[in-house]
Amino acid sequence: MDNRIFIIGQDRLPEKLTLRDGQGIRWTLVALPGVSAGLSLEVDIEGEGCEVDIAGLYLCKGGENVSLDMNVRHNCPGSVSRQLFRGILDGRSKVDFDGLIYVKKDAQRTKAFQECKTILLSREAVISTRPQLEIYADDVECSHGAASGFLSPDELFYMRSRGIPEEQARRLQMASFLSPVLQRLPQSLREEIISGL
Amino acid sequence: MDELLKDITSQEYKEGFVTEVEQEFAPKGLNEDIIRLISKRKEEPQWLLEFRLDAFRRWKTMTQPSWGHLHLPPIDYQDIIYYAAPKKDKDRPKEIDPALMETFDKLGIPLKEREFLAGVRDKSQSNVAVDAVFDSVSVTTTFRKALSDKGIIFCSFNEAVHEHPELVRKYLASVVPVGDNFFAALNSAVFTDGSFCYIPKGVKCPMELSSYFRINASGTGQFERTLIVADEDSQLSYMEGCTAPMRDENQLHAAVVEIVVEKGADVKYSTVQNWYPGDSEGRGGILNLVTKRGICKGEGSHLSWTQVETGSAVTWKYPSTILKGDNSSSEFYSVALTNNYQQADTGTKMIHIGKGTRSRIISKGISAGHSENSYRGLVRVNPGADGARNYSQCDSLLIGSLCGAHTFPVIMNQNPTATVEHEATTSKISEDQLFYCNQRGIPPEDAVGLIVNGYANEVLQRLPMEFAVEARKLLSLSLEGSIG
Repeated sequence: MDNRIFIIGQDRLPEKLTLRDGQGIRWTLVALPGVSAGLSLEVDIEGEGCEVDIAGLYLCKGGENVSLDMNVRHNCPGSVSRQLFRGILDGRSKVDFDGLIYVKKDAQRTKAFQECKTILLSREAVISTRPQLEIYADDVECSHGAASGFLSPDELFYMRSRGIPEEQARRLQMASFLSPVLQRLPQSLREEIISGL
Repeated sequence: MDELLKDITSQEYKEGFVTEVEQEFAPKGLNEDIIRLISKRKEEPQWLLEFRLDAFRRWKTMTQPSWGHLHLPPIDYQDIIYYAAPKKDKDRPKEIDPALMETFDKLGIPLKEREFLAGVRDKSQSNVAVDAVFDSVSVTTTFRKALSDKGIIFCSFNEAVHEHPELVRKYLASVVPVGDNFFAALNSAVFTDGSFCYIPKGVKCPMELSSYFRINASGTGQFERTLIVADEDSQLSYMEGCTAPMRDENQLHAAVVEIVVEKGADVKYSTVQNWYPGDSEGRGGILNLVTKRGICKGEGSHLSWTQVETGSAVTWKYPSTILKGDNSSSEFYSVALTNNYQQADTGTKMIHIGKGTRSRIISKGISAGHSENSYRGLVRVNPGADGARNYSQCDSLLIGSLCGAHTFPVIMNQNPTATVEHEATTSKISEDQLFYCNQRGIPPEDAVGLIVNGYANEVLQRLPMEFAVEARKLLSLSLEGSIG
């Protein structure tokens, strides 16, 4: 398994990737505050038993403009792909997420999942998501989900009523929201991100 | 299983007959003279002719969109007859031609106001007021008298132009502007008939209102226009149905539906679309390119769309709601079934402008045969829509390995107090489900019908009773021959 972490603006992300029989990747993309970027990644699955596991994190504090263009194509039967994105937007930041799962005719027994969730903290921030499924085979299990929302006031109240200061409670809320992606990062980077929230 | 699916999907189209009536046609083609001719035939006032000509001039500068996930056969707009009307008998100008009467009877649309005897109310003929449109003209509108007692106006569009010009002028093109899109501009230029409905303040419409559209003549297109206005605190349930004869040619149907929902009003709009879908080789069928849009103008208004799409060679439409009034809400429930070589690219748009606006989208796509079925939608939350809430769920069911099912949603959120959720799944009828039914003595074909109906149940439940029965039947029928 090719396990890698890409810090956007620091590490170069390949634009194209082709997987053959049994290959797998586990990549994590991290866009830290202050980074504007246009990312696009095309993954072609050209063999059976491949496993694609991509996760991403975008944290925007001010005027960042991040666009993510994910394109996962299942050209062969019997592979699995998973995509998981989490982000928090503040200030005047703008994020565009465009994710396509393509399942070619006869690429049976494909499993493909995608999830993109965002929290908006400011009135000027904009999130625009376009999760797409294009499916030409019937024996498949595919799903995508996209959501955007805000930090729940109930959760905040719960923590504050137990003596946790507001600022710390908010940080906890955000950390837990991001945790599915944070878990994949080394501890030092994880702590750096949490303390910067 | 493939054999079974094949059987289920090869069902004939029972509404495919042609009515032999003498008809009057406009010459083929589209130019300003044709528009003047249509306008003259309908004895329209000058302002409406100018509205049409303006639309036509705009249309000429536009090009046909191509972004749909569709293979649209080329449409020659000069090769279409834009006006076709059954001739009126000179001796009995007031009566409906018996041949037309028979046609609508055959389709199950009663044009006579049947009286109900106490206690022997026939359920299949419950109170529904119908506006029946045959090619380019409205044949009749039933229950007009009973409705007008309550102040409700329900008539053909053309009659409304003559009898209530102030209302038509006020609301026409207020939701779908003339230049909104290519097909809306075309419709604005050449629209022939359709329904007009106005519910006054505080009135609850005592019966279901409905429009029934029938394409009959060959080589024609149907361009109807429906305008529904629900004034403050009124309530309305509206249904729309349609069929066409079986032909090898593609016929164009480009309609515009506009709905205005004022403060506190509640409108429910249901469609069972059963245009001729073409044969099993993909020849012929209706091209259904429609613009439907409603606006929840006032506070607390509510608009609900329900559609069951089983017909048409190509369906390309997005019934949409603009949620302008604070705390207004809208729903979109859709079942789109495609079989053989049918193509559908349908969905909705929910534009949240007002505070506390809510919307809910439930879309169920079913593809069989060689068909393509796409959900495309937009959910947009504007910066001022505080506390807006949207939930979308789009499921696709694939029957057979030659069809396609796609989901293309766009979700845009600009408000930190709004919650937007979207979920989509794609799956097939599992062998386990089929086995479970078979094991209990349900034959495979019925089992598929059952599973599909169950899958679409959430949407079918929303239909008025008359429609729900029909829709369930249609779903099973349209699937005939698709299992194997």
